[in-house]
Amino acid sequence: METGPESRMNNESEVATADATQKHAAAADGTSTPVLEARSLSKRYGELEAVAGLDLRVDPTEIYCLLGPNGAGKTTTIHLFLGFLEPTSGSVHVMGMDVADEPLKSKNHLAYIPEQVMLYRNLSGLENLAYFSALGGKESLSTERLSEILVEAGLQPEAVHSRVSEYSKGMRQKVGNAIAIAKEADALLLDEPTSGLDPQASNEFSELLERLKERGVAVLMATHDLFRAKESGSRIGIMRYGRLVAEMTTDEIGHADLERIYLDHMHE
Amino acid sequence: MGTMTTKTILINEWRLLAADRILRIVLPLFVVLFAYALANGMSWVRFQEHTVQVVRDGNVERTDALERELIAIENGSEPSSPFRDPRAANVMGGARGARSVALEPGPLTALAVGQSDLLPYYYDVSINTNETTFLQNGEVENPLNLMVGRFDLAFVAVYLLPLLVLALSFNVLSGEREQGTLALTLSQPVSARRIVATKLAFRALLVMAVAIGVSVLGILITGSLGSSEPSGRALLWCAALTIYALFWFSLTAWVNSLGRSSAWNATVLVGAWLVLVVVLPAAINIAAGLFHPLPSRVEMITAQREASNDAVSRRSELLARYLEDHPELAGGAVADESNRAALAWAATEAVNQRLEEVSAQHQIRREEQSELVRRYRFLSPALLVQEMLIDAAGTGDARFARFQSQVREFADQWRSFFVPAILAGEKMSAEVLPSIPRFQFVDESLGDVTRRSAVPLSTLTILVGLVSVGAWVGLGRVRGAG
Repeated sequence: METGPESRMNNESEVATADATQKHAAAADGTSTPVLEARSLSKRYGELEAVAGLDLRVDPTEIYCLLGPNGAGKTTTIHLFLGFLEPTSGSVHVMGMDVADEPLKSKNHLAYIPEQVMLYRNLSGLENLAYFSALGGKESLSTERLSEILVEAGLQPEAVHSRVSEYSKGMRQKVGNAIAIAKEADALLLDEPTSGLDPQASNEFSELLERLKERGVAVLMATHDLFRAKESGSRIGIMRYGRLVAEMTTDEIGHADLERIYLDHMHE
Repeated sequence: MGTMTTKTILINEWRLLAADRILRIVLPLFVVLFAYALANGMSWVRFQEHTVQVVRDGNVERTDALERELIAIENGSEPSSPFRDPRAANVMGGARGARSVALEPGPLTALAVGQSDLLPYYYDVSINTNETTFLQNGEVENPLNLMVGRFDLAFVAVYLLPLLVLALSFNVLSGEREQGTLALTLSQPVSARRIVATKLAFRALLVMAVAIGVSVLGILITGSLGSSEPSGRALLWCAALTIYALFWFSLTAWVNSLGRSSAWNATVLVGAWLVLVVVLPAAINIAAGLFHPLPSRVEMITAQREASNDAVSRRSELLARYLEDHPELAGGAVADESNRAALAWAATEAVNQRLEEVSAQHQIRREEQSELVRRYRFLSPALLVQEMLIDAAGTGDARFARFQSQVREFADQWRSFFVPAILAGEKMSAEVLPSIPRFQFVDESLGDVTRRSAVPLSTLTILVGLVSVGAWVGLGRVRGAG
């Protein structure tokens, strides 16, 4: 009988996949509680309406890509889900919980990878992961398991104990991915996750998203990367001036169509 | 969950601070400063103890010399000088037989020299003791020490401890924001309040471990922890240090909660230190001198000389008036103008009365100054804590005033013992020596010190509470990294 780390990961993966299948089935028939949900969500900064009446739902195993120009309200939407911002009106829900009522509890279900993953420079990648995963409630993870997660996220094994000050942007991003993996959250919020990454790193990131999707994680990703959105996304929403101006499934469209639709909406 | 989160943050803080070069420089530097301050205070205590011993030895030597001469005279020898005849009451009660009285160092003087190097801690009491005696300090002190005070633990605690707190904590939240880790941190189920409170608690433990550790070390070395009273004073000292450090920690928490940059925080906090620790105490000091100036010592000396000249020219008249005031002393040798001692005493008494008038003015002004400082000390936590620290150490104004008051009473007893004999022209003998009044200082109780510390301690506690509430509310608004 296999008892090594690889065997454990395989077993965990099988269990996660079975769980994901159940979640997917529930989501498909509309009976499940959405992992992420925005209801008539608005956020104003004085005269500026950053998010205006947004209705959004992301189910388990779904990767929802938010596209839109700078200032469209994508990051604001993600920050509203994280409770970083208070809605002017409407509400955001995580696993059915109103974030305004349960700001800390709702974060138990969320993992977040910002555009620039910034870590404690004087600590190693492993120490950073240990800290953030413990904060996220995974304080029992052993050092070995944390190292495995870092490697699973794509970090070279020899870099695990190096100080983050010696890391490239891509390596920091991988530690950010590892933090998200370790948390085993129900939803993953991504803000321009592939911005500034080389094609190989972007590709590895897509593979990671696929694995998380298989585990039943709901993903909300703000991005400018139309190609990545089409490749990885299940659904795509286009935002402009804080409003969701278009929403489609990726099965409905091809790469060229997405670019055309996007540009059409930008020129309206 | 909450305990685990706190433990997680504490472990991370330990890792971060251990990896931080600033802490590796600042903390040992402060340990050295604290240790040097303690060594400095202990050196002062040794000096003071030595002086007190010398003063006591002088008493024994003088009494022995008097006794030897009195016995020799009784056995037929002549006095060494007719003006120094120990049988004369004005000689035995005057400079030759003067009794030196000394105040032992306060229980925690090694921690806070306080006023002990500025105010006299020993006096020579004789029939000539008057108000000028209490204005003189026989010690030659380094003028720099007199000007800025000694570099003791109290100085480090009041002036430098806040800087250590600020150096470690000014960017406790803003630093996280600026290095970009706050977003990732707050995306976890933890509030900014808990993050800041835990980080500050960790730093507070470090700072207090140094401050209280060195204090306790000083108390143990100087052996003051033996009886219950110094232990009580040590507790008061630690309470004062703790609440003062908490004030600065709560202030950094509040400033961090405003969501500004680390540079802004540092500027505001150093500004607060400058105003609260340096400017306000100095301004209150200047105001006290400006609004209630003390009469000059020159005025006192001039009054003494004028009174002395006047008294000498009117000795007979003064003696008659003195006896009118003290009819119980009239009769016998005092009526005889040839009793030089009685005439001299009458003149001395007249001078003392004149000096008391000038001294009373001096005293009134001093009290007015103290009242002004007492009233406005609430503006500066540094003034409040300094008052508590030197009071706990037994080197504050109150203990010296108590000593001076008991010396005054003793001087009165001394005069009451010798003056009737002077006026009656009685001869003293060796048998009289054991019955001469003796001085025994009755120290203040812990209750006295605690009562005095109650107001500044509770004021500081309220202040810490108010600033902490401000910080708590402000940190409650910190939801994200923006």
